[in-house]
Amino acid sequence: MFLSSEHQQVADMVRRFSDEVVRPEAERLDREEAFAGDIYQQMADNGLFGITVPEEYGGAGLDCLAYSIVMEELARGYSSVADQCGLVELFGTMLCKYGSAAQKTRWIGPLIRAELRGAYCITEAGAGSDVSGIKTTATRRGSGDDWVLNGSKLWIHNAPVADVAFVLARTDPAAGKRGMSIFIVDCHAAGVSRGPKEHKLGQRSSQVGELNFADVSVPADALLGLEGRGFHMMMSVLEKGRVGIGALAVGIIQAALDASIAQAKLRQQFGHAIAEFQAIQFMLADMAKDAQAARLLVRSAAMQMDAGVDAGMASSMAKCFASDAAVAQSSNAIQIFGGSGFIRGYEVERLYRDAKITQIYEGTNQIQRVIIARKLLQD
Amino acid sequence: MKILVPVKRVVDYNVRVRVKADGSGLDIANAKMSMNPFDEIAVEEAVRLKEAGVASEVIAVSAGITNCQDTLRTALALGADRAIFVDTGEMRGAELQPLAVAKLLQALCMKEQPQIVLCGKQAIDDDANQTGQMLAGLMNWPQATFASKVVVAADKSHATLTREVDGGTETLEVSLPAVVTADLRLNEPRYATLPNIMKAKKKPLEIVTPEALGVDIAARLTTLKVAEPGKRAAGVRVADVNELVARLKKDGVIA
Repeated sequence: MFLSSEHQQVADMVRRFSDEVVRPEAERLDREEAFAGDIYQQMADNGLFGITVPEEYGGAGLDCLAYSIVMEELARGYSSVADQCGLVELFGTMLCKYGSAAQKTRWIGPLIRAELRGAYCITEAGAGSDVSGIKTTATRRGSGDDWVLNGSKLWIHNAPVADVAFVLARTDPAAGKRGMSIFIVDCHAAGVSRGPKEHKLGQRSSQVGELNFADVSVPADALLGLEGRGFHMMMSVLEKGRVGIGALAVGIIQAALDASIAQAKLRQQFGHAIAEFQAIQFMLADMAKDAQAARLLVRSAAMQMDAGVDAGMASSMAKCFASDAAVAQSSNAIQIFGGSGFIRGYEVERLYRDAKITQIYEGTNQIQRVIIARKLLQD
Repeated sequence: MKILVPVKRVVDYNVRVRVKADGSGLDIANAKMSMNPFDEIAVEEAVRLKEAGVASEVIAVSAGITNCQDTLRTALALGADRAIFVDTGEMRGAELQPLAVAKLLQALCMKEQPQIVLCGKQAIDDDANQTGQMLAGLMNWPQATFASKVVVAADKSHATLTREVDGGTETLEVSLPAVVTADLRLNEPRYATLPNIMKAKKKPLEIVTPEALGVDIAARLTTLKVAEPGKRAAGVRVADVNELVARLKKDGVIA
């Protein structure tokens, strides 16, 4: 796809950063399940957090298309690192859209500069795809404006290391989806506790775990946006989130393709490089097709968002297609590598594990299909 | 003190170029293009000199087709203050030769009066390694090529430079103004940060023509033929150092 000079410059910069800084560390980060704090600092120094956040708040002030390019290139290096970029992007977007002046000043800068680590808390034991099932509550303390938060959030990215959490809680249990609100909670406050770090199949550098809130005192100015609008606010940023995860999946496909091409040229069998066999060539061609088709879906959704057009269906299609293709094509990459692709330490083995979660998080692909179908059938 | 930094748009170092079937040149249609890596080092050094308070302004210059403006935007994103694009129209690649570029730079030096022209030691496409030297000759300025360290004196009358030469390094002093060409170890260029890529769009980029500068850029050299280098022959295994030395002597590699 032809990019403007500015977007190409962004792509070139992030590609180089990813090759020089991210990719060389991916194997170790995966093996050690280590938090990539040093890389995040370098990303912050180079303006790779808060891509669409306006310059006045310390962001890069770029568009959603640029965001998708950044996510793809980072994920080509290591998808866990890209996911951190996506997470900060959601905080930035949410604060810019709904935050008070004081909240913007207090939180956006430190999150973009990687001084603070954030956690985005929706999911609970009984509420995954069905967000309306959350049980976490926030109740007013006496007749004052302060709140008391109680509940438990599961599979939360950054929970083991978070300084601040964006928590979706029920403020009016009788009002269903219209009775939820978002609170910006200090994770070092009394009553906040963390479960152990989960040991995951893939994206193992991402620190994921439980965040528990037991009678946590939350001041009135921690309420984000309007009371009762929390569900809609959380959902409104998910379109951008889906573009981000779609782009992340494209990065995984591209990494699988790059590794497969190199291996196919190198590996000799029956006296020939295996790249000379059509069975391999067809797999490479299909991988390249999927990479490009997924990329175009992602960028088309991003450009719709930049144009202010509803991108609900487009972002769901992009996320769903790209993540399904990432799983299928990273599996084919292992097939091209043969036995060695099944061994820890080979990039394609990690890509396959890393790809799986992209079908699950940011809305499962089943939910994406529901969204697409609902749109198709609504008229 | 102004620093002028010429930057060249070249085929990206990752691209494997192929010779055209008719041997007339290289097939670089649709190839990814980037700033010459040595020029990137030169930009970085100039920007560091500005950040250190030594230089007051860094001006990036490029000559060639319209797309060279992208290369200038990269220089601006890396920290150059403004850019000058010499639009040579259809004249591109091998047709725009080192002497012509040196003359264009000479004209710009007269106009801008920089104290240092800091350029890459060579471009990774034609590897000519001539433009900086020719410019110094045309300006009758001292030159320090292949620099791996640049220190400008407090009174800015001269600079002390370390050069990478065969067999090691040498340190010498040049009076300013001078031409300095950057070697690989001069520095490690920074990334163009995303906010700086955005800011670069708003920095001034002036467009001039060779005619306006009074420079004739017609090619003086003719390319007869471009050919692939010969295939490397397979190596030979030797048992020990004695056999290696004997073999090298026999093949006339060493006396």
